[in-house]
Amino acid sequence: MNIENTKAQMKKGVLEFCILSVLSNGDQYPNEIINKMKEAKLIVVEGTLYPLLMRLKNDGLLSYRWEESTSGPPRKYYKLTPLGKKVLKELGTTWNELVDAVNKTTQQ
Amino acid sequence: MNRTVTMNLSGIIFHIEEDAYDKLNNYLSTIKGYFKNSEGCDEIMSDIESRIAEMLQGKVSNIKQAVLMSDVESVIAVMGKPEDFASEGISASNEPKNNENESWNSNSGNKKRRVFRDPDDKIVGGVCSGIANYFDFDPLWLRAAFAISFFVFGTGLLLYIILLIIIPKAKTTAEKLEMRGEKVDINNIKKAVNEEFEEFKTRMKDFGNEVKSPENKQRMRSSAQKVVDLFGDVFHNIIRALGKIVAFFLVFIGIALMVGLLATLFGRGTISIFNTPGSNIHFSLYELSSAVLPTDLPIQFLVIGLILFLGIPLLSMIYGGIKFLFQIKQKNRIVKYTANILWLTGVVLLVYVGIQLGSDFAEEATTKQNIEISQPHASTLYLDLKPMAEDDLDVTYHHHRRIRLGDWTMISKDENKFRLGYPVLNIVAGTTDNFELIAVKSANGYNKKEATDRARNINYSIVQVDSTIKFNSYFDIESADKLRAQDLKLVLKVPVNKVLFLSKRMEKLIFDIDNVNDALDSDMVNRKWVMTKQGLECIDCKGLENVSKR
Repeated sequence: MNIENTKAQMKKGVLEFCILSVLSNGDQYPNEIINKMKEAKLIVVEGTLYPLLMRLKNDGLLSYRWEESTSGPPRKYYKLTPLGKKVLKELGTTWNELVDAVNKTTQQ
Repeated sequence: MNRTVTMNLSGIIFHIEEDAYDKLNNYLSTIKGYFKNSEGCDEIMSDIESRIAEMLQGKVSNIKQAVLMSDVESVIAVMGKPEDFASEGISASNEPKNNENESWNSNSGNKKRRVFRDPDDKIVGGVCSGIANYFDFDPLWLRAAFAISFFVFGTGLLLYIILLIIIPKAKTTAEKLEMRGEKVDINNIKKAVNEEFEEFKTRMKDFGNEVKSPENKQRMRSSAQKVVDLFGDVFHNIIRALGKIVAFFLVFIGIALMVGLLATLFGRGTISIFNTPGSNIHFSLYELSSAVLPTDLPIQFLVIGLILFLGIPLLSMIYGGIKFLFQIKQKNRIVKYTANILWLTGVVLLVYVGIQLGSDFAEEATTKQNIEISQPHASTLYLDLKPMAEDDLDVTYHHHRRIRLGDWTMISKDENKFRLGYPVLNIVAGTTDNFELIAVKSANGYNKKEATDRARNINYSIVQVDSTIKFNSYFDIESADKLRAQDLKLVLKVPVNKVLFLSKRMEKLIFDIDNVNDALDSDMVNRKWVMTKQGLECIDCKGLENVSKR
């Protein structure tokens, strides 16, 4: 059994939930999202984030706007769409249920 | 000391050391290859590029202006390698994950070059600089060549537009890097061939080992599969190489034909018809069509119709060839539909011209005119033929142009144009005591009146010297008249008991004349004939009976 693969699979579902949660505190640009995720050790490298953001955007959960930056290229500020907020709420419920369930099973 | 190159990343200019540039180039290309099949690939790339630009910007200052290898390495470490993306659970492409051979490390030094238009170095669309980048030469030469070819009936312009449509623009930095890619020179081709060969050797060796080792049937089957794959690959490569050669010739021939077509339609180019050995006859399309096309039908209909009808398939040939040569996969539906519609337009135009032309032949009319001749003193009339038209017009092949359109000949000498037809002569019994010569002129037209007018416009003349009639070997048509199946039949009415002599040259004029002896036209000349109640009968034809009475 490939333990790395299992870990990756576990992280995969959680990552999108986390990105949505980070954005629920207000609009952010990728660098800020990355920093928060890195702090939490959810991701190690930045490259991971871009395809994820793209997928969430394509699914209509996120939207973005351009903002000029004083030091560098213009930045994309991401924002939750109403659909995104709804999905975040649902995921939050599911997550809590899951944590409870996992705790119950593993701590027996 | 290291050399630096200038790089534009997300609109920001960096001076970057050459080896660092190569590394970054490969890195971006690899990521791009990784996301190739996923939705929004271009957007992901430009996001990543702009993030890298931001990070690199933090690493340069007024004191340290160049981006170094260590900077690029640290940026890559922060960004992560594509495998890392995958290990964190984001596999962007649906490809199976076991294609590790193609990932970062082994792929790094070996990036294929692709054709892009270069938006950073462009005069019009970056086509020339893009191609020059691909083949690694100065775009100036290509630009000059194109500029000159614009004046060759606009061929260059057309080709440029085709290339502009087919070749994609290098949008992301990765594409720009791919555009420069690895040089396509002899060394690299040699290297590529060697690599291919090494890989082949390894695979053969692997295969050999697998066969030798006492494995189960399953393995044997899979190695058999590998042989098939291997030969499949070799075969595939050969087909590709052949395909490229064919594509090259398609493009080459397509361009050549295109030049010919445009030259014929727009330039001083002419249609050459080899109808007389040793003499090319040159008439431009305009000269030909002015002789045939109805006056109220603009020549543009024909020209545009021809351009579309012949040009579109030629362009498609060039287009397809170039696409195959440069391995451009993108499909452009608009181009396809436009081409189809334009071609159909061409067909419609040509059909319209054809119908218009056809309706101008709708009616046929015939008029009869008497040609005055004086009666011979004796009872014998001598018939002779003047020299052929070309001789009569006193032109030689060096000075005139001649073309046969069906039964007509167009001759152009200096500024004069002659449209000539060839009459035929029939000889019948007359009802009066005099020789009579009748010209039966016919022509076609939109209606009877037009056809009759046209028939009357046929000019024909004879010359009579004493008892000898010299026929003209041709009739001519007014230069304002279109060619509409004008025809001339001469009928000579000979009274009973009168005598005719046909000269040798008359063979060209007479056609299937009834006679008592049943002699063929070629047997009738150089002889005297008397008109009897039964018809023409030969007077000095001893021995002819043997020939003709079969």
